Amino acid sequence: MNPSLKVLLALIVSLELSFKVSLYTNLLVMALCLCWLLVKKMRPKAILTMLFFATLAAFTVFSSAYLFSDRKQLWYALDITTRVYVYTLTTACLTVSTTAEEMARSLEQNLHLPSHFAYGTLAALNIIPRMAQAVKQIRVAGLMRGVNLSFWSPVLYFKAILVALNSADNLAQGMEAHGFREGAKRSAIVKIPLTGKDWALFFGGLALLNVCAFLLP
Amino acid sequence: MNAEISIQHLSFEYDEHKPLLADLSLTFTPGAFSLLIGPTGCGKSTLLKIMAGLYPKYGGKLTQGQVDLGGLSQAMMFQDAGEQFTMATPREEIIFSLENLGMKQEQYETRLQRATEFAQIGPLLDQKIATMSGGEQQRVALAVLVAMDVDLLLLDEPFASVDPKARTFLVEKLVQLKEQGKTIILTDHVFTDYLGKVDQLYRFAGQTVTRLSAKERDAVLAEEARFPLTFALPQTNAPAAFVLNDVLLKTSRLLLKQDELKLYKGKVTLLTGPNGVGKTSLFRALTQLLPYSGSICWEGREVAKQPARTYFLHVAQVFQKATDQFIQITVKDELAISKKLRKNDYFSDERIKQALADLDLDSHLDQVVYSLSGGQKKKLQILLMLISGHEVLLIDEPLSGLDRQSIKQVVKLMKDSQAAMGQTIIVISHQFHGLSDWCDYHLRLDQQRLQYVTN
Repeated sequence: MNPSLKVLLALIVSLELSFKVSLYTNLLVMALCLCWLLVKKMRPKAILTMLFFATLAAFTVFSSAYLFSDRKQLWYALDITTRVYVYTLTTACLTVSTTAEEMARSLEQNLHLPSHFAYGTLAALNIIPRMAQAVKQIRVAGLMRGVNLSFWSPVLYFKAILVALNSADNLAQGMEAHGFREGAKRSAIVKIPLTGKDWALFFGGLALLNVCAFLLP
Repeated sequence: MNAEISIQHLSFEYDEHKPLLADLSLTFTPGAFSLLIGPTGCGKSTLLKIMAGLYPKYGGKLTQGQVDLGGLSQAMMFQDAGEQFTMATPREEIIFSLENLGMKQEQYETRLQRATEFAQIGPLLDQKIATMSGGEQQRVALAVLVAMDVDLLLLDEPFASVDPKARTFLVEKLVQLKEQGKTIILTDHVFTDYLGKVDQLYRFAGQTVTRLSAKERDAVLAEEARFPLTFALPQTNAPAAFVLNDVLLKTSRLLLKQDELKLYKGKVTLLTGPNGVGKTSLFRALTQLLPYSGSICWEGREVAKQPARTYFLHVAQVFQKATDQFIQITVKDELAISKKLRKNDYFSDERIKQALADLDLDSHLDQVVYSLSGGQKKKLQILLMLISGHEVLLIDEPLSGLDRQSIKQVVKLMKDSQAAMGQTIIVISHQFHGLSDWCDYHLRLDQQRLQYVTN
């Protein structure tokens, strides 16, 4: 499915289920998402780790909505608890089947967002692993200079921010040096198709969602 | 023929009233291969960035004058190639650049092929750029420019981390580009390979630039003929700082498979090898940044098991990128930290003062380290790491980006300090000028094996 439509669908599903109480729909969405993740060969260990952290959040929601609530409405409590899993799993479905590059291209080509927004975000994403590496390196560099930068040391983060600012500035210049101009028209060498099948899946998904949300309790 | 590329009465400053370029006027001939030389911090990179339209947009102030490229399209390659990429892989970056130029799918195929062949990056096309070595990144950056097929290529020290063989190959390729009608303007501190290939040589000195005559040009370029290197082989029973046993080193591919090897104590060992062979990765293993299998012992103790806090007080690395080493803001603060760590009295305050003067850093004490020029950063970095007096120093490309005068100063500083303190030094360098008579041994890394060699 087209990346932009995927984002839209995930957004609509999450938003709609935030307002409409329908536990069965939540469960159905969760089941479909899980199947999709398994089809896409996401590692079971990664799924379990993700669900573990979601469960922490879900438990908090459940305890305040039911265990420590004055009005003990189990159905409603379960509904808002399962919403946590709905958000987690829909987002997981989105990320597991779309690379950052496809997403940026789709935002640019299909949704016609400004290209500096799409590529700026993408470039920022590409900096993240570099930043993680930089923090590690800064700690070692500190130790080599006899300075222990602990993980709560302001110097560590000051330095990390400096590295980030410097990278951001270089990146802006780098993009321009490779011919990027803000607002200029760009061609699309790698095309992200938006087919009838994409639309059919999108509207099919929406229809199923609404039928379930309004008919099922 | 195109109009001339002209620069007229150009003045540029980063700090108010401290012009870096003052009333600079010069012309470049379109279709020529021009080389800019001059001491570090003289404004070569700045001039290229002004020509690329990046300055003053991204920094500094143009107080007067103008640049006219005569209608040529341009693209630039930065000194720090690794920071220039928007996308994760070379293929993606080339697609991104060609989309910026509005290319069609069919043009992309041929351009990609041409660029890949040019820089020989075929096997690297889909590898993550962040995992590549410095030299590989420079080759990818060159490939992007070739794919863009611009008229004017502005290259800022494009070969600083490229190994000698690849360097000769790439200079030859640039000559081919010139013959196809491209204009090439390039800065460099190393002049090997350029004799008979460079058309125009410009020398920066004291805010002015002079174009040398053909005779002067050839005299300057011929000065640096390759000299043969000879090294001794180590005595196998000499005391070792590091002992490697059945070591396997892997990143995305196998880098090193070494049965047994010693790195000798109190000696200076030169480590060389082609780009991307894993020289820096070996350093990363010695500094616990890259896991290894097998055993690497320092003074009889396993490196991976050493507590970082004490280990790094004895073993330190001088990183390829100078800014990685800095943890303070100004030059003065950085010096203060290194002084605190001093283990012996070799680097007295007096000697440090002298060294700062020798390195032309004494007037920059209050400057923010990140705002120093590339060469100044490098010089400061090396001084800082020598002052702290570690027993083992792993030095990665200490001479890249340094002009000849600075190389002399830096090598002398390293030599004197090593002689006085008896440090174990392992140095990676593609530039042998000045280093050859300092290093005791030559260790070569090729085809996943380290070996002491004599040449």
